[in-house]
Amino acid sequence: MTPTVVAAVQAAPVLLDREATIGKVVTLAEKAAADGARLVAFPEAFVPGYPDWVWRTRPWDADATALYARLLDQAVVVGSAATDVLADTARRLGIWLSVGVDERDSQDSTVYNSLLHFAPDGSLAGRHRKLMPTGGERLVWGMGDGSTLKTIDTGFGRLGGLICWENYMPLARAALYAQGVDVYLAPTWDNSDVWVPTLRHIAKEGRTYVLGVTSCIRAADLPAGLPGREGLYGGPDDWLSRGNSAIIGPDGEVLAGPLVGEEGVLLAEIDTTRARAGRQQFDPVGHYSRSDVLRLSVDTTPRTAVSFASHDDAAEPPAEPATGPGRPGQSR
Amino acid sequence: MTGLRVAAVQASYVLMDRDATIDRVAALTATAARDGAQLVVFPEVFVPGTPIWIDTQVIWEGDEDWFGLLASNAVVIPSPASERLGAIAAEHGVWLVVGVDERDPHGGTIYNTVLYFSPGGLLAGRHRKLMPTGAERTVWGMGDGSTLRVVDTGQGRIGGLTCWENYMPLARFHLYAQGIDLWIAPTLAVGDGWIATMQHIARENRMFVVGVNPVLHADQIPAGFPGRDRLVPPGCLEDQGPWLEEGNTVAVAPDGAVLAGPVRQREETLLLDLDLGTVAVQRRHMDPTGHYNRPDVFRLVVDTSPRPAVTETNGATGITEPMEV
Repeated sequence: MTPTVVAAVQAAPVLLDREATIGKVVTLAEKAAADGARLVAFPEAFVPGYPDWVWRTRPWDADATALYARLLDQAVVVGSAATDVLADTARRLGIWLSVGVDERDSQDSTVYNSLLHFAPDGSLAGRHRKLMPTGGERLVWGMGDGSTLKTIDTGFGRLGGLICWENYMPLARAALYAQGVDVYLAPTWDNSDVWVPTLRHIAKEGRTYVLGVTSCIRAADLPAGLPGREGLYGGPDDWLSRGNSAIIGPDGEVLAGPLVGEEGVLLAEIDTTRARAGRQQFDPVGHYSRSDVLRLSVDTTPRTAVSFASHDDAAEPPAEPATGPGRPGQSR
Repeated sequence: MTGLRVAAVQASYVLMDRDATIDRVAALTATAARDGAQLVVFPEVFVPGTPIWIDTQVIWEGDEDWFGLLASNAVVIPSPASERLGAIAAEHGVWLVVGVDERDPHGGTIYNTVLYFSPGGLLAGRHRKLMPTGAERTVWGMGDGSTLRVVDTGQGRIGGLTCWENYMPLARFHLYAQGIDLWIAPTLAVGDGWIATMQHIARENRMFVVGVNPVLHADQIPAGFPGRDRLVPPGCLEDQGPWLEEGNTVAVAPDGAVLAGPVRQREETLLLDLDLGTVAVQRRHMDPTGHYNRPDVFRLVVDTSPRPAVTETNGATGITEPMEV
């Protein structure tokens, strides 16, 4: 594989303003691409921002409800003008562009925490909906199904990832390892001291490059007119997240970062040939697995709550009605 | 279930000398017990030590005497050696966890095993490492799925995996699902990357973690050890320094914070007062086998059957049983 430069973008969204935040994505992606990056990764739920208020409000009070309504309004629908801008940016810059979004579903009712991967040809090459929100997040986000746990072949390695504390789900990680992930994205809100050790562990467990990408935002970055802004947030230096972005090599070594307390674009050159050769030492789904003892199965079926069927659409004629006397409820 | 005083013993073994090393276990356990320890943990294959030649020599070249010592000093269960370890636990009324090079009674293969002795001196648990690492595969066999059990001490549930087994996500998940308060990771792994892994594992299952390493200075190789001059080639000493085992013993809290250690380049017993009752509270944040699991998506099947090499069947008596090796 050809060595490739990748970028982890640590920045502040314009909270709950989709278009303004996408404007930042475009600007920062241009900057990273100008620095040579062929993959540019943004934080968890970056567009239009992480719903930080779930950790500051009581679940159903007026501010929380108003903020949720704005989140729903500003969330990203896949296949809309918002994703068109992201796709065009990837194509124009010739980069892989991975962006965390609050994704609104097709019936405009539930929001998911999703990671979108746009290819250099502008196609949406992959989408991952977080399987399990954490604590207070469970009041604003739904859960993805097993159909979005796919890696993507980029030409410089297989790209995949999990979001925030999903990275503490050993079985979800194993599902990515089993698809040969070489470049593992971990967009997150977690800016604790222990997060970087987790990134290092995952790199070494999967012998993969890991990009931890975190938002960096304080009260001064919040737009005026945000519901509850005065009561929920302190002075300009009240940090919502200090950021914690880092790029880790396949032996667990820190290649860039951690970047704390400032916006910035971390760059690192990666070579997936090295990650794969490193699996001579450890391969959790190959020579260091014990498939006779431990076997994981993953249900990747898309799960929709309601499916609609019309007999008019069916290729086969409808079943004949039951004819037996006294057994009207029997079906075939 | 509240406080448990744990001793994590970072010490040197007497290389390939089972009885002299068990003497060390006895002395160090006595000291730890005098200091109030209720659980005393020793490193990976502490008795009779690490086959340190595997990473410094060409495979199978001139290693006959060394492997012979390993085989003859390995611990058979049961044997006077394992009974003596049980007696040490009983004498001091402590839980004793100790890594051994284990051999079947008539077997020629050595396993990397961790033994759990109760304060009554009984063998309450045994774990054979599922997969050796790299050159370790030339001296150790692989355990089966029958030794992946958590041990209930009455003051908390303990268990763990050995060295790089700790990087096996499915094996960890199986132990997590049994409810484990204190994870014990006997290891030879050195450096900060290992500490990051100990922190990650603690936070992944919100439990206490104790990683325990041996320490060995080149000068501690017994005089008269066969091939002593070529056991550690000068180049290795120049590359790595005189510490053949540097040590890395560490204790981590359920939120991933380092409580003590890492201890390096010296013998030391870490004494830790762990409030295992806090584990249940921490799991409101993260419980990988409970509220943070997705059993509709992921299904892990674990085969825990013992897998003996031979099962004998007798048509006359109708008795079928595993053959002891």
